[in-house]
Amino acid sequence: MTTAVEPRRRLGVTVHPGLVRHGGVLAVLLIIGTFTALRSDVFLTGPNLLNVSRQIAVVAVLAAGLTLLMTAGGIDFSLGAIAAVTHGVTAQLITAGAADWLAVTLAVGLGALIGLVNGTVVTLFRVTPFVATLASSTILSGAALLIIEGQSISIGEHLAGLGFGEVFGVIPALVVIAVVVCLAIGCVMRWTAFGRNAFAIGGNERAARLSGIPVVRTKLLLYTLGGLLAGLGGVMLVARLGAASPGTGGLHLELTVVAAVVIGGTALHGGSGTLVGTILGVLLLGVVANSLNLLQINPYYQDIALGAVLMVAAVANHLRSRRH
Amino acid sequence: MDLTLRGRAEPAQPPAHTSVALELRGVRKSFGGAVALRDVGFTLLAGEVHALVGMNGAGKSTLVKIISGAYPPDGGELLIAGRRHGALTPRRARALGVSIVHQQRMLVPELTVGENLFLGRMPLRLGRVDWNRVHTDAARLLAELGVEVASRTTAGELGPAEQTLVEIARETHAGGEVLILDEPTATLGGSDAARVHRLVRTLGARGVAVVYISHHLDEVLDLADRVTVLRDGRHVTTVPTDRMDLPELVRAMTGDRLPQGRPDTGRTLGEVVLELDDLTAGTRLDGMDVTVRAGEVVAVLGCAGDGQSQLFPLLSGLRRPTRGRIKVAGREVRPGSVTAALGAGLRCVTGERLVHGLVPELGVDENLALTERGLHRPWLVRWGRLHRAGGAARTRFGVVTIQADPPVSTLSGGNQQKVLLARWLDSGAVACLLEEPTNGVDIAAKADIHRLVDDLAARGTAVLLASADVDEVLRLAGRVVVVRAGRTVADLPTGQVSRDELVALSVGGTPS
Ligand SMILES: Nc1ncnc2c1ncn2[C@@H]1O[C@H](COP(=O)(O)OP(=O)(O)OP(=O)(O)O)[C@@H](O)[C@H]1O
Ligand SMILES: [Mg+2]
Repeated sequence: MTTAVEPRRRLGVTVHPGLVRHGGVLAVLLIIGTFTALRSDVFLTGPNLLNVSRQIAVVAVLAAGLTLLMTAGGIDFSLGAIAAVTHGVTAQLITAGAADWLAVTLAVGLGALIGLVNGTVVTLFRVTPFVATLASSTILSGAALLIIEGQSISIGEHLAGLGFGEVFGVIPALVVIAVVVCLAIGCVMRWTAFGRNAFAIGGNERAARLSGIPVVRTKLLLYTLGGLLAGLGGVMLVARLGAASPGTGGLHLELTVVAAVVIGGTALHGGSGTLVGTILGVLLLGVVANSLNLLQINPYYQDIALGAVLMVAAVANHLRSRRH
Repeated sequence: MDLTLRGRAEPAQPPAHTSVALELRGVRKSFGGAVALRDVGFTLLAGEVHALVGMNGAGKSTLVKIISGAYPPDGGELLIAGRRHGALTPRRARALGVSIVHQQRMLVPELTVGENLFLGRMPLRLGRVDWNRVHTDAARLLAELGVEVASRTTAGELGPAEQTLVEIARETHAGGEVLILDEPTATLGGSDAARVHRLVRTLGARGVAVVYISHHLDEVLDLADRVTVLRDGRHVTTVPTDRMDLPELVRAMTGDRLPQGRPDTGRTLGEVVLELDDLTAGTRLDGMDVTVRAGEVVAVLGCAGDGQSQLFPLLSGLRRPTRGRIKVAGREVRPGSVTAALGAGLRCVTGERLVHGLVPELGVDENLALTERGLHRPWLVRWGRLHRAGGAARTRFGVVTIQADPPVSTLSGGNQQKVLLARWLDSGAVACLLEEPTNGVDIAAKADIHRLVDDLAARGTAVLLASADVDEVLRLAGRVVVVRAGRTVADLPTGQVSRDELVALSVGGTPS
């Protein structure tokens, strides 16, 4: 997406560069999908697919923000924790009697604010993003538990339209939101100066700065945008589950999001990344988790599978970048 | 043209008594369908200094990367010490005695020279690093090679010439019979380059075969025993340097494209545009005063790494001066601010294109558009317009690529340099700092770039040139400020000094 415009010819066949780039993930996705479909009758049924799509919608929203951020050479380990906080805040506001739209707006705004704070620590105080966001992730995990006082807080029928509603009677509203977010971020990465500046900063920050590109402002915006989308993710979580509870969001969500982005081929050191890759990564992880469920494999293997997929993807990305 | 034929018909056969250290036969290499080397043959004799020359993008770096195992060839044979080898890796090439010093310095700046020399194979005693031996061995190795550098200095404190020497020493210590040097003197001035030459001669005398890539043709004719010329990925000729002179070599490299020098015409100078007033950066630049008028080219000359290398960080706004002022068109530029420098119309072109200049993973056209985007800060990127503007700039600056819009990192060194200049010089400069503008550029491109700088001045831009290259200073500048150990030692019109006087001034003679 970043550079090659013409298709590359190999073995006499014209192959689209996107296909070359994402061929590996796509192949693994198809293999696992086919395998699961053969072994389980439930996999390809409507209700199961709807369920999977609702689950991965949240991951996709967070991963879209992280893709843009990582392209600029940043990283945010607190996205999962931000989602945990905002899902608690939404539930508390609603039970306290706030209107749905107000609760949602405040929660999303809070996410953006936390992102801005992360960005400030990283850019103005020059703390390594890894350390800064790990610290805020820890703080926020504690705060998330405090907010819901360690208990489940039900929101009843509130936000049901968001969590279970469907557009045109088939597409879950959550999926629509995820698609809109992904399309928007994809356009930002391709067509806006802000998005292209993220590539330039990730590729060579000094060169970008010397060209007059507003590096600090861009980074602040990127962290804010990441936080905002994580806040939205938190709202989507509480809408889907109908309650805020301890252990929702947090570290597991965070790791899934980071893994999806890395599997999608975004470089950890910045400078390159595509949203298509990230979406494939999100789909792959969603399908793997679902397949382990359906095939009734011991849930402890879930984390092992997540880690293994991540490891393989990281090695494959490394080999691919070395070939050039 | 007939030279090509002579080269083909009568390849300089190695004399029977010298052994062949390394041989390539019919080597081919392409990148994504674009051919970088076609059917190249190359023979390296033990103990010879073999220069490899050619224009930017001719395939020199690609050839030595194949020899050192960084790229696998698409076809052809590679023989080392008479044995055929299939796919080499850098590690295997090293084990076979082939080592390479890349153009970018690769020492670990925080470690001492001794540690750098023995990195990965420190002498041990009782399982611990024997520090005394590290430094005595290092001192002995450096003394044997005639490199005057103390083993206990940290590598970061060394000047560029010394870093190059230490790297060469490290590679030879590994015991290689074949040493490849990719443009070792590209960034070095006269006396520093001479130190590298001495070391190369020492190594040649010891029986090490040296492949020496350079765009400095005088140096090549002086230093090398034989020279191989590549053009557009083809082997043109291999001849002993004593059967070759400069014009002949240039013709072999360029084919029909002859580089043309332009006689310096008198320039009319305007108002003072750029003023450096008592500019100081720690101990490395001490109280520099320079004024540059519109349409004037003023050079600041010093040995590699001397005071002139401080100008880029100061003028571009990367670093704040400890003392002194920078003024553009009579107005002081806020110190330490990139935006203020750009806003004042100051354009600074770095000599380290990959560190401060280009974004390697992005395409050529987007790199070309970066300064515009930084200056005007639009909301949207118009790709169609961007590619059209990029195409026009490439034609104007003679950037040659074999693919449509490849990542800038895949361009040859000289073409990267042209992209960098195109990006900065096209953006409405009032005053301009050029740091080593022809670093790693072939002679034709060098002439092009010189002409571009002439035009830039003719359009009324004040040009400040920071350079370690005396010939370039004499070619381009109307006035030269010589710095030594950070101090200004002379400020003269170039018409009044000879080349030798300038060299003497910059290394420590007295002004005549
Ligand atoms: N990794 C790569 N991918 C694509 N093209 C490449 C790659 N490396 C080199 N090329 C192309 O191959 C050609 C030969 O490049 P090479 O670096 O060998 O030139 P060179 O003779 O060393 O030039 P210079 O004097 O400018 O350093 C160039 O056109 C370059 O753009
Ligand atoms: Mg080269």
